[in-house]
Amino acid sequence: MTKIIVNGREVEADPQKPLIAACHDHGEHVPHYCYHPGLSAVGSCRICQVEVKQGEMPARVVAACRTPIAEGMVVNTDSEGAHDSRRECLEFLLKNHPLDCPICDKAGECSLQDYSFQEAQAEGRSSEPRRKLEKRKDLGDVILLDQERCILCSRCVRFMDEVPKSPQLCISGRGSHSVVETWQDAPLTGNYQGNLADVCPVGALTLKDFRFQARVWNLTRVPSTCSECSRGCSITAEVLRDGEVKRMRPRPNENVNGYWMCDHGRFSEGELNRSDRMAPAALRDDAGQLTAADPGDALRVIQNLLSVQSQALLLASPYLTVEEGEAFSQLARSLGRQASFFSPEPNDLRDDVLHTGDPCPNRRGLQEAGLTPMSSDEWAAASAAADCILLVGERLLDMLGDEALAGLPATQRLVVMECRASDHPAVDVAIGVPNRVERSGTWINVDGAAGAIRAARPAPQGVRTIVDLLADLTTTSGQPEEALSS
Amino acid sequence: MNDFLIILIKTCVIYGCLIGAAALMTLAERKFSAWMQLRYGPNRVGPWGLLQPLADGVKFIFKEELCPDGANPWIFRLAPILSAVPAMLTVAVIPFAGDVNLFGVDCGNLSITDLDIGVLFLVAIGGLSVYGVILGGWASNSKYSLLGGLRASAQMISYELSLILIILCVVAMTGSLDLRAITEAQNTGNPLSWNVFSQPLAFVIFVIATFAETNRHPFDFAECEPELVAGFHTEYSSMKFALFFLGEYCAMIVMACLTTTLFLGGYSVPFWEDAPWFVELGSFCAKAGFFAFLFIWVRWTLPRFRFDQLMHLGWKVFLPLALANLLVTGAVISLA
Amino acid sequence: MVIVKRKTLTLAERLYLPEILRGLSITFRKMFQPKVTRQYPEEPLPTNEVTRGQPRLRELTEGHLACVSCGLCEAACPAYAITIDGQETDRFIEREPERFEIDMLRCILCGFCEEACPKEAIFMSTELELAGFTRESFKYGIDKLKRSTEELAPRMEYIKRINERW
Repeated sequence: MTKIIVNGREVEADPQKPLIAACHDHGEHVPHYCYHPGLSAVGSCRICQVEVKQGEMPARVVAACRTPIAEGMVVNTDSEGAHDSRRECLEFLLKNHPLDCPICDKAGECSLQDYSFQEAQAEGRSSEPRRKLEKRKDLGDVILLDQERCILCSRCVRFMDEVPKSPQLCISGRGSHSVVETWQDAPLTGNYQGNLADVCPVGALTLKDFRFQARVWNLTRVPSTCSECSRGCSITAEVLRDGEVKRMRPRPNENVNGYWMCDHGRFSEGELNRSDRMAPAALRDDAGQLTAADPGDALRVIQNLLSVQSQALLLASPYLTVEEGEAFSQLARSLGRQASFFSPEPNDLRDDVLHTGDPCPNRRGLQEAGLTPMSSDEWAAASAAADCILLVGERLLDMLGDEALAGLPATQRLVVMECRASDHPAVDVAIGVPNRVERSGTWINVDGAAGAIRAARPAPQGVRTIVDLLADLTTTSGQPEEALSS
Repeated sequence: MNDFLIILIKTCVIYGCLIGAAALMTLAERKFSAWMQLRYGPNRVGPWGLLQPLADGVKFIFKEELCPDGANPWIFRLAPILSAVPAMLTVAVIPFAGDVNLFGVDCGNLSITDLDIGVLFLVAIGGLSVYGVILGGWASNSKYSLLGGLRASAQMISYELSLILIILCVVAMTGSLDLRAITEAQNTGNPLSWNVFSQPLAFVIFVIATFAETNRHPFDFAECEPELVAGFHTEYSSMKFALFFLGEYCAMIVMACLTTTLFLGGYSVPFWEDAPWFVELGSFCAKAGFFAFLFIWVRWTLPRFRFDQLMHLGWKVFLPLALANLLVTGAVISLA
Repeated sequence: MVIVKRKTLTLAERLYLPEILRGLSITFRKMFQPKVTRQYPEEPLPTNEVTRGQPRLRELTEGHLACVSCGLCEAACPAYAITIDGQETDRFIEREPERFEIDMLRCILCGFCEEACPKEAIFMSTELELAGFTRESFKYGIDKLKRSTEELAPRMEYIKRINERW
């Protein structure tokens, strides 16, 4: 650790990191475009200039991202000289930047906007026309490039080089003819393209999926955890006014995902925005139709089933949180049964960056809660042997598949607690549960790191939490106290 | 039988006219106030807004009847009736004109009855109307209503005193309690024989006291909107509220008639001693109409008094003046 | 400090009655003066370009709004009356509103939306009358808000003029 003085304050800084990181670590914000804490520093944008005085030499204005830390450095991030340099730098950047903030998706979270405002740099002296470039350049399925908005910071190029290690982007041309391009306009590939829109400090690289979907200041941001693999990347779920999840973005977390997430997880919001939600409670009536029922009645029916049928199969979704898993295994203990969770086959998305290939985000947490994993083969055998099946948690029906349900014997009772509505003829009792943006809890990832999920919007009217439902079933079926003591 | 029929018809006509006049007064109140404030007033219902009272009445009937929680429901319902009925009863003794001869039938004098203690009846029944106000205020179970009712009762009792003393002066001059006799005494064809000329101070005090007696501006402390919401009828709605208003306007009309009778010679026509009855009626209506207009006129001109000023005026100014006036009147009569 | 001298009243003023008569004469004279009330539905309010009526959207080209659904009016609206959803178009300006809704019951006609608009797309019109039978009918969509440039031209001129003052 090296001692430096930042804005009159003596702080300890890591000499391995550039000066800008030390400033950021100690709460002194230095503007930056090309610098990204997760990428190498190149010093191409020159906005991060600060005044540094070393030893007896007069103070100099230097780019903080390319300046190594030295003992006894005196740094002033707020000096007149630094501001002057930043303003000149901004004037050059804005020289060719189009004034289409009103239609730009980045508006509101754009560094160029923020720093122009911060440095009060709005006037340009240039009377030359702005350069005309391609405004809608297709870069594959995920990303759209607006070359006019690009400030050539090369963050995207470095990201592709350094993180997924599949160099696909480059800056071609020289001087004012420089543009970001792919080789022969080939579309981008890979599972990490979405991060390009996050690293881009302006609106040049935008997500096709999010294009013109919402103004960013209308989004409510809730910290959460990605559900798509056992890595459990920390994310921010962003919800529009009517509760629709508009996008999910990585949340910096050194222990788990750094600054990134994969596209597979990023674009998994479709399933969260489904409108075909299961009713709070439904029972199969005399005519054989699933009809909405009083939730209390439905719970009593389930209790009766569980107390009468001795060979019940209790199967949870792998998306259950630790808390819900705990409640589920308590219910199983009170019934003298073993609780399991469905463990789907690993998929082929596994890579060296983040994705683990295991679709259970909470495998460790559920195992610690006392649930045993159950593969599809085991499920086929166990479901045939059971006289009553209780399925709890989101996406479980989709994972098992309708064919598996159709093959169940007719005498078997099937209770489903799901998010998605189902009118499968095998279902006898259906209870609606909140999905992962409507409830709070903890998932434990493959390395044992806990990731919290938090409710970003209220659950549909009348839908209760899984913990509540399971607790109600436990206290009224069997003797929970005895089960606990034994 | 014939007499009974005539009395029945007279009663119906006079009460019909009274209610009609009260309705018209509500319209006049709004029209005149509008004109004084450079507005038009109600002009949408019927020609010149003439059907506005009808529309108001219909609205009142369709409004929801409310009875506040904790109110005494029977007294609450009784109060508007107690307020309206005495005001309407007193009109029975007002002589509107002399002998009426209609289609060759002699119908007698144009008044429901000519009581020989007409003045006493008027004062006695008029004094009852304070009960409507105070019971309404008390039964509403509301602080505003209660305060309004208390103020109204204090005020009406205070001014009734001066009012009666003034009436006594007139009675002393005429020597009769019969309102027709009082009118006839002034009906000489010479306007100078009207009491207003022999008793100018009494006239002024009487007119001002009638304002206080009817709870009109500038003495409307029973309502006093800025302080008491709406005073004693804050909690009233629908027809019950309308009854209070009917009572107020009937009282105004009766007081206007009374002032006319006592001081302006009633139905006497200046310089025409034996005028036919319809001319007399016209004369009476013109004089009473002026006083009714005065009620409205003053309301939209003067600001409201303070309650202590009102009491000061009633007890320390009007009462001594009225007593002195009675003394002088009595002295002059006994000396003459 | 200002010292207000209390006026000593004359006898006539203390007697009160002459003053009352003076007041009465004033109100009586007023009764015959011309009325100032406007008979509203027959005599509508005069409007000009300064009138701040209900906000309306300007049609830039045939069938297309000048609005690019940037959401600044939505953000500026103190009454939360505006709701905008954007969508992509093939025209040069790539963005247009898919839904532009103003809840006229919420709108307080403050004109902040007009001030916030960077595209000269929303203007306060001279339309002042608002009536309906359901709450839903007061949620004006693009179809009800769209006005031609000519209709809004006086207001546009006026806004340009006052903006030049700064």
